[in-house]
Amino acid sequence: MPRLVIDDREIEVPEGTKVIDAAGRLGIMIPRFCYHEALGAVGACRMCAVKFLQGPFKGVQMSCMVDAKDGMVVSTTDAEAVAFRKWVIEWLMKNHPHDCPVCDEGGHCLLQDETVSSDHSRRRFLGSKRTYRDQYLGPYVQHEMNRCIHCYRCSRFYREYAGYRDLGAMQIADKVYFGRFRDGRLESPFSGNLVDLCPTGVYTDKTSRFKVRRWDLERAPSVCIGCSLGCNTVAGAQFRAVLRIEARTNPDVNGHFICDAGRFGYSYTNGGAGFRQRPREPMAAGAGIGREGALERAFGALEEVARKYGPESVAALGSDRNSVETQCALKKMCAAKGYLPPVFFLDPAARRKTCEAVARLDERIAFSRSELESADFVIIAGADPLNEAAMSALALRQAFRKGGRIVVIDPRPVSMPFDFEHIPVVPEAIPRIFGMIVANSIPGEGGGLDANAGKFLRKLDRRSEDATLQSRIEDLAAGLAAAKRPAIVCGTGIVDETTPAFAADCALLLYRAGKRAGVFYVLPGANSYSSAVLSENDGRTFADILEAMEGGSVRALVVVENDLFRNFPDTRRLEEALARLELLIVIDYLPTGLENRASVFFPSSTAFETGSTFINQEGRAQFAHPVHAGGVPILGGSPEHVFRPDVPGGGQKPAWSILHGLETGLSGSGGISAEEIIASHPAFGAIAPLRYPVDGVRVIPVQSKEEFTSQSVSGGEPAPPRGLRLLLVDWMFGTGEISAYSDTLLESIPEPVLTMHSADAERAGLLDGQEVALRLEGGTVEVRLRVTEKMAEGVILLPRHQNLRWQKIRGFPALIDPERIAAL
Amino acid sequence: MLPEDLKHRLEAMIIDSETSREKAVDVMFAIQDRFGWMSDERMEEAAGLLRMTPLELDEIATFYDFIYRSPVGKYVIHVCDSVMCMMEGHERVIDHICARTNVTLGGTSPDGLFSLLPVCCIGYCDRAPAMMINKRVYGKLTIEKIDRILDKLIREDGFHPSE
Repeated sequence: MPRLVIDDREIEVPEGTKVIDAAGRLGIMIPRFCYHEALGAVGACRMCAVKFLQGPFKGVQMSCMVDAKDGMVVSTTDAEAVAFRKWVIEWLMKNHPHDCPVCDEGGHCLLQDETVSSDHSRRRFLGSKRTYRDQYLGPYVQHEMNRCIHCYRCSRFYREYAGYRDLGAMQIADKVYFGRFRDGRLESPFSGNLVDLCPTGVYTDKTSRFKVRRWDLERAPSVCIGCSLGCNTVAGAQFRAVLRIEARTNPDVNGHFICDAGRFGYSYTNGGAGFRQRPREPMAAGAGIGREGALERAFGALEEVARKYGPESVAALGSDRNSVETQCALKKMCAAKGYLPPVFFLDPAARRKTCEAVARLDERIAFSRSELESADFVIIAGADPLNEAAMSALALRQAFRKGGRIVVIDPRPVSMPFDFEHIPVVPEAIPRIFGMIVANSIPGEGGGLDANAGKFLRKLDRRSEDATLQSRIEDLAAGLAAAKRPAIVCGTGIVDETTPAFAADCALLLYRAGKRAGVFYVLPGANSYSSAVLSENDGRTFADILEAMEGGSVRALVVVENDLFRNFPDTRRLEEALARLELLIVIDYLPTGLENRASVFFPSSTAFETGSTFINQEGRAQFAHPVHAGGVPILGGSPEHVFRPDVPGGGQKPAWSILHGLETGLSGSGGISAEEIIASHPAFGAIAPLRYPVDGVRVIPVQSKEEFTSQSVSGGEPAPPRGLRLLLVDWMFGTGEISAYSDTLLESIPEPVLTMHSADAERAGLLDGQEVALRLEGGTVEVRLRVTEKMAEGVILLPRHQNLRWQKIRGFPALIDPERIAAL
Repeated sequence: MLPEDLKHRLEAMIIDSETSREKAVDVMFAIQDRFGWMSDERMEEAAGLLRMTPLELDEIATFYDFIYRSPVGKYVIHVCDSVMCMMEGHERVIDHICARTNVTLGGTSPDGLFSLLPVCCIGYCDRAPAMMINKRVYGKLTIEKIDRILDKLIREDGFHPSE
């Protein structure tokens, strides 16, 4: 651990720390352009010059290129270093346009800050400025090359860090140009990070362009609820509209970056482009009723139903989109009133898979996203990282860059920005194959393991009947045997019910075998962890409630932030069951269509408008601060000139507060206290000391109660199913509940396709690119066919696409007779 | 579309190499020898053969002075503008060629015969000022010598580009 002195202050840093970071630890911000913690040092910009007074180096050196060493004495304020940096700035400003007053980066521009701090203000150079032609880079990123100072951060992130190949540096010397081969949208789904990374205004956020100055934004730390990873963001709002999302650094969760779906998918909270899509006022039977009226009507009706049919005739449905506060308030309301306990899952299989995964996460084996980055062998079992949790694909890319080997065992044609091995098999075969890889990586009968682990190991299959597969497994097992930090990434979408627990047991087995092994689950939604925790002892799902609605024993339903018609696989059955209800109360901030069917509808606040806690897939509770108060945005039009005491369109309240009203009949700001949240489940006790864990706190136990209890998967190859198994899959763009209402994402949404293996397509006489009709139990879906060899035979893949009425499947799992797919 | 024969030749060239991208410059030179310059379409086709993205190939193409990304004349005159040639008066060379052939630096003469481009050092420092025309190098340039060279090219008894 080298000790050095920087600006007369001593610090001890780990071996290999650059001087620029050592200074950062002392709170000294050495100016820099090209250096970035995630991208490493290249020494291109010459801005971080400091003077080394004593030690192995002497004189002015680049602090990003020098490792901290014992005995170094460094001055960042030495006259020679200050003059050096001033010349660098003057030379960079030679070509930089003086457009700060109209530049979107103005006010949060590193170049602007460092120019001012270097005291350069007078132009001595008499030549003209170099100019470029800008490119169209798609709907999200605005290009303005004249501002470029050639730090190479963009191409380093885009190509090296993220692994996409359509943006780079062209030309030479003072003509160097960062851009694409020709105009066109950036292919990378991480392109928005260029906006954060660029130290000046070459890449700016097109969705918020010319709308707001950075210093005018109301900003607050927030959490993305687009998928289960819970990436940390900074949300910025002005004039009652959320206008910009930036990545917030959290080394355990998202590092420095976020994906484009999370960055640009915010317009749902504003009500879309015209601000009109979001329901903003309480309604009864589709007509405005006012906050007090709605509460009175809903409270009275609930009491009435409970009195007539008993309180257990009232059921409640939450979702993964609810905050922890909302879920706890819903649970509390149901308990206090004697209603049926709330359910958070639509189908039993999804509940069991999520609960199994959540029950197994503990301090020993739960890997965070940053631990995934340093894994040296990764088995991805039934997960499609880029589509189900995009930032995990970026973590896996870092594992790959460090020499990690990655194998994907999944039926889908998984694609990620790095090389990996793919074993495409049907979902039921996934655990057996990765079990074989794990078993073969542990020599002999596992001597040295404890009894449970040894017993689990002996139950695993070691040999496949398929000789090619067997040699592949042995090769992979040899790789795993040599690995020190292996990871298992396990999905909860298409996999069989026993797979998540099995993945945890395999990780635990590797852990017991002396490896720093871990499991990284991908869960269905932002708050799935909390949904699972709160329903761990209650096996019911919405499927049971639906039956009770049909049977007449449930007469009233409270739906809290659940886009039922999007999520439920049988639209007709749902419609009929809802029609039988005497009372439907809906609480939501999205225009799901339920608001018009509801007896009483309450608009709720989004995570930008109320403090909310979400627990991500590795069990980390994170608090999203409210950014603004909400209401109809006044951008792009003249605000109403009407005197009123309240905010126009500000009828929303936090869902937990509405639920408190439904419980007590009292309006006002009452809600749920931290103590009540903690009382809802012992796991939430970890949140207590912090109350508002902005940087996140893990709520997982030290040691899970269950280990090596997953069902064994021996017994030979599973028999191939008759017919094709229909798997509903998620895409990064086009299948998300929230993204469907964010029109900022519209241009990213690809056309829905039914994907099929080429051998299956050949047997069915179908061709790639054909329009086909897929006859489901509940009707026909017309969709284009995509044929590929990079997937498993025996399955067909249909995205939960917002432009596809797939809700005709009736139930899961769906087996499709190939004859039910016909060319149009 | 690249002609079949050229495409086969390029494919054979690429197959022989350990990694396809190491042949990027050779492939572009081969295409340029046939067509004179690298159009966007030819860049895309060459990138496909090399299993690179067009951008990755363009990064290489635009780095080098001798790969032309816009149309050039039959003879491309590269006048060296590095230090030695600068000291020996490369500007006089450029001015004379401009006047003589009616081109501007970076441009092509109206008859399509000459393009004039600067180049940073062609290794002829001992014979500065120097220039290069279609891969042939000329040193110790004087006005008379330049005239002789240009006259020869204008009379079309000059050399073939592939000479």
